[in-house]
Amino acid sequence: MDHEHPRRPQAPTGHGDEVELALLQPKMHATQFPSLQITGYILALVLTLLAFGMVAYHWVPVPSLIPIILVLAFIQGALQMGIFMHLREGRGTTWHLPVLALALFVGLGIVGFSIWIMMFKSGVS
Amino acid sequence: MPIQRWTLHLLRLLFPPQVLLPDIVAIDIGLTVAVIVIGVYLTRTRRWGWLWHEWITTVDHKKIGIMYLIAALIMLFRGGVDALMIRSQLIAPNAHFMGAQQYDEVFTTHGTVMIFFMAMPMVFALFNATVPLMIGARDVAFPRLNAISFWLFAFGAILLNMSFSIGGSPSAGWMSYPPYSELLYNPGVGENYFLLSLQVAGIGTIATGINFLVTILRMRAPGMSLSKIPVFVWSALITSSLVLFAFPPLTVALGLTMLDRVFGASFFTIAHQGMPMMYVNLFWIFGHPEVYILVMPAFGVFSEVVPTFSRKPLFGYEAMVGSLLAISFLGYGTWVHHFFEMGAGPSVNVFFGLSTMLIAIPTGVKMFNWIFTMWGGRIRLTVPMLWQLAFIPTFVVGGATGIMLAAVPGDYQYHNSYFLIAHFHNVILGGTVFGMLSGMYYWWPKMFGWKLNQRQGTWAFALFVSGFWLTFMPQYFLGFEGMTRRMATYPAGLGWTTLNLWSTVGAFVMGAGFLVMVYNILWSRRYRDWDVTGDPWDGRTLEWSLPSPAPEYNFARIPMVQSRDEWWAMKQEGRTDEVKISATTVHPIHMPRNSAMPIMLAFAFFVGAIGLIFAWFWMAILGGLGVIAALAYGSFADYSEVEIDAKHVLQTEAQLGRVES
Ligand code: HEM
Ligand SMILES: [Cu+2]
Repeated sequence: MDHEHPRRPQAPTGHGDEVELALLQPKMHATQFPSLQITGYILALVLTLLAFGMVAYHWVPVPSLIPIILVLAFIQGALQMGIFMHLREGRGTTWHLPVLALALFVGLGIVGFSIWIMMFKSGVS
Repeated sequence: MPIQRWTLHLLRLLFPPQVLLPDIVAIDIGLTVAVIVIGVYLTRTRRWGWLWHEWITTVDHKKIGIMYLIAALIMLFRGGVDALMIRSQLIAPNAHFMGAQQYDEVFTTHGTVMIFFMAMPMVFALFNATVPLMIGARDVAFPRLNAISFWLFAFGAILLNMSFSIGGSPSAGWMSYPPYSELLYNPGVGENYFLLSLQVAGIGTIATGINFLVTILRMRAPGMSLSKIPVFVWSALITSSLVLFAFPPLTVALGLTMLDRVFGASFFTIAHQGMPMMYVNLFWIFGHPEVYILVMPAFGVFSEVVPTFSRKPLFGYEAMVGSLLAISFLGYGTWVHHFFEMGAGPSVNVFFGLSTMLIAIPTGVKMFNWIFTMWGGRIRLTVPMLWQLAFIPTFVVGGATGIMLAAVPGDYQYHNSYFLIAHFHNVILGGTVFGMLSGMYYWWPKMFGWKLNQRQGTWAFALFVSGFWLTFMPQYFLGFEGMTRRMATYPAGLGWTTLNLWSTVGAFVMGAGFLVMVYNILWSRRYRDWDVTGDPWDGRTLEWSLPSPAPEYNFARIPMVQSRDEWWAMKQEGRTDEVKISATTVHPIHMPRNSAMPIMLAFAFFVGAIGLIFAWFWMAILGGLGVIAALAYGSFADYSEVEIDAKHVLQTEAQLGRVES
């Protein structure tokens, strides 16, 4: 048996509806034209095409290719986070930060480990 | 005659020789007849409208759960038939029940269907059916997205399942390693089916992961802190986060392979300095967490089933949650154990071998906690509990052989032998499937309102489990004897004959168990044993405080949670009236409205996927435009909710005897 008997939790008004409704309700009433989002979208496409073009059509010499693509990827990531993932909004940063840190940790882990794993020179690949 | 030539070309593309085998044609005919019969039945009984309004456009998590469950059972049947075909081929040496090509297609489909289209939806069926009820919510956080996930899964499943009759099945195994999945070595559209069907279903899976993460983090009833949610909900939370991190690498691996095959790129090809092993690496970055995605929900189910049927609270809640977290964390750093033989070198292999072995520790903790929960409890041997009891030894054997595989030098011997096959069937069947079936029997009354017959359920269980042991124990020894996986046939005189025979017999016993289970379901539906209490098992968690099945809004009154096993505490403390409403406390309830957008969106994906599979780019573009159109419609025109007025709520609840006088 659970022997703890905590105090009755303080609910907003009693039946608990608003907790849920606030979330079920999408914010549908845009206050302004989403020009930021549209610019961000176009920029994201341009960045992708740029990276693709550089590899597919040899726009830049191979040695400088990887650093340039990494820079592009970084800008792309910042763009996605800032514009589409609502990172610039102050609301809920306490949730954002640990999750972002975790994502970064897993992402870097995957990339780092993969580099380590694939460094072998046994001629398989 | 260009038209004639064109038609001929199309016919050859759609119906290559491998789909014209007599057995496949027979199945085609059978399926066509079945579709016609169902269509006629629906028209005769005027059920199309019902189907559309009640099911196809629904966004209700309970109905979506039921649809996932039905789909998963159908896929279990399909994958099971494949398995029996495989085992029939292997029953004796030199058997030629199927040719090598067909054999490859059958084991590929078997694995793919079982992992992606049986186990995953089975897991999501239980999440959908129970998680909102367990946390005191009225639906998931994004109900329409939930329907989108389901329909994407459904169309992905349709795609994979139509491959054998139109265009040809994939044949490169469920992992689809290059170079064999390369266009050069595997021409035709079969592999494309694999890539695109998983891609479509995968989008839905990621969305489900996000949906349940948000639902569990944000929509719990007041008072239900994270330390009070049932362990099944914890398992759903952790599984969802695993999905979120694991599926993107799969998406990338499949996407790049598609670029190789359809657009002539060379990411993973042997030619042009592609890196086939990079595919393997990416695949297993997904693949290992995936096996934990499959098994954690089973751990969750058992953590509900064992306390209920032992009449004791779960032993070591914190340890249970902690070990789930530890497993999910460690599970991320083990993927190389699937390709030690690649030759990455001793340091890489030792690192990943050790990290793999570490997982056994938290898993062991869980085993002991379930046993200690039962210890001294009043155990009732119901069907869900039987599955749990069968799970413990099965999973222990599976885990122990996993440790053997994680020992690198040993793995050089066992890798891709029948020993490996036995290992993962031990953990996936003995873990995931036993767990999901346990959960299905446990929550069936909550989902449908009536119980499954216990005696038949016990028979199904007994047949299935004994068939299981008979099938897979010999396979460990076949592995030791040197039989490798994916052999289409084998010669006599290697000492494999008897073991294979037993294994096949076991598979058919398991098949019989499945049939009894289907009979069990149909029989119980015919002679319904209604659950009028809503709490048939004397349960502990909030879903049992609701009527079976729960009304569409779940909770007329959102409970205020005070302890871990809240419903049990209510019963103990005589607070069960708390779930009732009265004319003064009742409120109107807002619910999301049904929507046709999910199925439209999924259909557009389906069309686009077919376009890519057959490299008909006009069709792919059409599908893409369809996706955009569906999204635009969904964003601008579609979303709305309905208000269930207070009087209606009061009436419904009164009928259920849940109104305070
Ligand atoms: C103590 C826990 C476990 C350990 C130590 C372990 C270890 C391993 C190792 C080392 C392999 C690779 C063997 C080889 O390819 O030669 C493997 C394969 C596999 N394991 Fe496990 N495992 C464990 C639990 C699980 C669980 C819980 C599942 C699923 C629910 C699972 C599913 C699989 C699958 C599907 C494969 C092989 C896939 C394939 O090659 O087709 N394992 N396991
Ligand atoms: Cu693994």
